[in-house]
Formats: sequence, C-alpha cells, structure tokens
Amino acid sequence: MPRPDEIKQRIEASIPGARADVEDYSGGGDHFRATVTAAAFQGLSRIEQHRLVYAVFGDEIGGPIHALSLKTKTPEKTPIT
Amino acid sequence: MSSTRPLSETPSPEKTELPMSSAQPSPAEQPASGAAESNPIRDAIGEAIEQHKVILFMKGTPEAPACGFSARTVAVLQAMEVPFAAVDVLPDPRIRGELSAISSWPTIPQLFANGELIGGCDIVTEMYESGELAEALQ
Repeated sequence: MPRPDEIKQRIEASIPGARADVEDYSGGGDHFRATVTAAAFQGLSRIEQHRLVYAVFGDEIGGPIHALSLKTKTPEKTPIT
Repeated sequence: MSSTRPLSETPSPEKTELPMSSAQPSPAEQPASGAAESNPIRDAIGEAIEQHKVILFMKGTPEAPACGFSARTVAVLQAMEVPFAAVDVLPDPRIRGELSAISSWPTIPQLFANGELIGGCDIVTEMYESGELAEALQ
C-alpha cells in the first residue's frame, strides 16, 4: 500500500525539479491529494501537466492508488492556463 | 425517423448508451493498416464524444453518482446549467479501458467539450472556480 511520502518521492524523482506535497486524505492509503510545483510544467496545459504526474504511476492509478487528486503549479506564477 | 417521438427535447442530463453490441463494422470498413484491429467500443466512445457538445464519462449516473469525484463534477455542470450527456463507465470495464486509451487520461470522471478532453474532477473544479469553465464549454 503506497504511502504519501513514497508518492512524493516518486513524483520528485521522476519530474526534474519538482516539489510535491502529498497527503492521504482518506487515511486508507489509496486516496491521495498532491500539489506539485515544477518548472517542467511551464508552457504546458493543465491537462498535460496532470498527465506528466499521472505518468509517474502508470497502471497504479485506478489500481492500488485509487485516486490521486492533483493541483499543479509552475514555480513563480500560480495561475496556469 | 418518422416513428413517434416526444415533442419536447430530453431534459439534461441526457443519458447516453454506447451501442456496444450493435457496433460491428463490416470487414470492408476496417482500416487497412495491419496493426489496427476492429474495436467497436472504442469507435462508439469516439462517436459519442464527437456527437455531444458536452459529455461526461462518470461512475454511476448524474442522478446516482457512484463516486465522489463524479458527483462533484456533475454538481459543477448542474450549477452551470450546462446540458450534458453522461455515460456510466461501470457496467463494462472495457469502456473505461478504451476511454483512457483514447484520452490518455487514467481516471474517471472525464469531461469532454467540443470533442476535446477538458479534464477530470480537479481540473473541472479549478476551471469552474476561476471562471474558465464557462468559456471551455461554449
């Protein structure tokens, strides 16, 4: 069963320069909420940013990770189109 | 097309059934490329996305959502008073698999407008709060 710090480490290891804050909001080890800040998101749409994060986990999303709720940001500017 | 139909339009949300069993392309319709196999479910999903201006793939129905994320997304659309079609992915696991293959998006719900993936619950909620969603659903 994945843990929030494991999810965090995997995101940060896979997306260069990413910073992730992850919480297990159900307490059951399968519903996570992550805020990810990364320069790699620059110039990408929200959809593309979320896809980058989902890609870290592949088939685990919908499997052992039932839900990974995401908020993505670029380092300096918050609003992303 | 001359059979009896109700005069009033279907009120939103409209429920869409994918024609799973009827969609059987004849051999002549199959693409020539060797790798592509006939895939009626994928075709039906693609058609549904094309045919409906706003379509939500969700768990359960708008009246009885089977997941909190689907419920929240329906609530946003209803708050915006946007008519939308809804497809329940739960009856057949292949729907979800094919949908994700089309959209490159792993989770449900998935909202499409004008043939494009808008996003899942997080993005829809974020765009609703920022006011961008109304424009995306135009």
